[in-house]
Amino acid sequence: MRKLTLYARVILASAEMSVRETMTDGFVVFGIFVQPLIIALLGLWMLRDRGGDYGIFVVVGSGLTGLWSSLLFISGNSITHERWTGTLETLVGVPTPMGVIVLGKNLANVLQSIGSMAVSYLLASLLFGYPLTVAQPIQFVISLFLTVVAFVTFGLVIAPIFVMNPDVQRWQNGLEFPIYILAGFLFPIALLPGWTTPISYLLAPYWAAQALHLTSSGGGTSGEISIAWGMMLLFSLVYVLLSRTLFRVMLRKARSEATLGLE
Amino acid sequence: MRSVTLNIRLFFQGALLSYVALFRWLSPMTYLASKVLMPLAQILFFSFLGMYATGQANASFYVIGNAIQLAAVSGIFGVTMSIGGDRWEGTLPYLFGTPANRMAMFVGRAFFHVLDGMVGVVLALMWGVLLLGLDLSHANPLALGLTILVATFSTSGMGLLLGCISLITLNVMFINNTVYFSLLVFSGANVPLSTLPAWMQSVAWALPLTRSIAAARQIIAGGSLAEVAPLLWMEVLIGAIYILAGYFLFRWFERQAKLRGTLDIF
Repeated sequence: MRKLTLYARVILASAEMSVRETMTDGFVVFGIFVQPLIIALLGLWMLRDRGGDYGIFVVVGSGLTGLWSSLLFISGNSITHERWTGTLETLVGVPTPMGVIVLGKNLANVLQSIGSMAVSYLLASLLFGYPLTVAQPIQFVISLFLTVVAFVTFGLVIAPIFVMNPDVQRWQNGLEFPIYILAGFLFPIALLPGWTTPISYLLAPYWAAQALHLTSSGGGTSGEISIAWGMMLLFSLVYVLLSRTLFRVMLRKARSEATLGLE
Repeated sequence: MRSVTLNIRLFFQGALLSYVALFRWLSPMTYLASKVLMPLAQILFFSFLGMYATGQANASFYVIGNAIQLAAVSGIFGVTMSIGGDRWEGTLPYLFGTPANRMAMFVGRAFFHVLDGMVGVVLALMWGVLLLGLDLSHANPLALGLTILVATFSTSGMGLLLGCISLITLNVMFINNTVYFSLLVFSGANVPLSTLPAWMQSVAWALPLTRSIAAARQIIAGGSLAEVAPLLWMEVLIGAIYILAGYFLFRWFERQAKLRGTLDIF
């Protein structure tokens, strides 16, 4: 129990530090607020002939783009960033597991990114005057909570992968839009060729988009929503287990090869 | 005569070195991710969104708009980083210390990005043909090629201006990304200009790409070079204005930096 309290304190401290750092970074501010806002503006404009009901669909979808972009670029770089600033050795040396520290950073990033949904909401509501109502508010909140969990744990997997495999990280720039497409953030994946559907099913962001769209726009059955929630929980569990192994391998490799602070 | 030869050599040497310096650190995979996968994914995303909004029949509107808009990847990001790179790498004082012709040095930074941008747009149109059924059978290849050249020229003009701003700010990526994404709204790549409010239309016509995208759509629909010539001339003029604005800003920054001793102070 004492350990859990200690970890909670580390997570909070790490999250606070991350917010302080990232909120002064123009690139992060762009990814979290400006880019989703522009995508929301485009989405609202392009889909406006489909009527006001699409307002909430675009708000949720553009918010998810901000969530994914911040996960990819900020959480993905959360360990690399420490390496750049020369603090990685210290963090690895402290008794708290590295994964707990990164968890705090990811939590801060994902929660900040939820702000992009709020910004899109204000844009759609004030500029376009759409009546934005969430069809199933309680289920929506649960979906949002599970989305945060799924994205935070996904961040725990990609950060060590990016550090250990610079070749994978080099694809970072190219990985932003494919997930927007495959996860169905702003249009249904039924528009895509059939062979892409199994790939979508393997992505936690797809199930997050499903749950959030179904509960915000309405029209989803409780069975469909439950499946999306279940898949997010399942993926979160897989990500946590996978990340434990990845962190262990990463730290062992860095120590044995003495490459902790080296690119 | 000797000074002309020297300036031409300076132009091409500067152009090549700044391009090589920018991409030398990139592995082929980074280049492929940034210049092949990202553009392909962007075209697919906005084209599918557009088709979802207005129907499959309008796919070419979005494919062409986004393919031409990709000129901004090289024009804005590439050129800005080439200009700003001198500050980051500490070579700015040496450049400002030479008697080299500033115009040749400044404009040379954009040269290879114009060529690179053209390759990017052609590749993007090919993706459109292969994956989204874009029909280029009615297009005049010469007119289309000229339109692509003009689009990359004008966006590189804007890149030169933004590059100057990168000499005085630390948040250049914020500015670049904001301009790049704003072009997706204002250039008419994804939204017909006529549906935008009047003030947005006014902004759109003062930006690069707006006329190139309109010209490319006309040419691919079977229009002739003569029909789109006014649009292309105006686009060249817009590009030239951005280049001149960037050049004067560059000279002003140089003077101010020398006067205040803030050449590479961040």
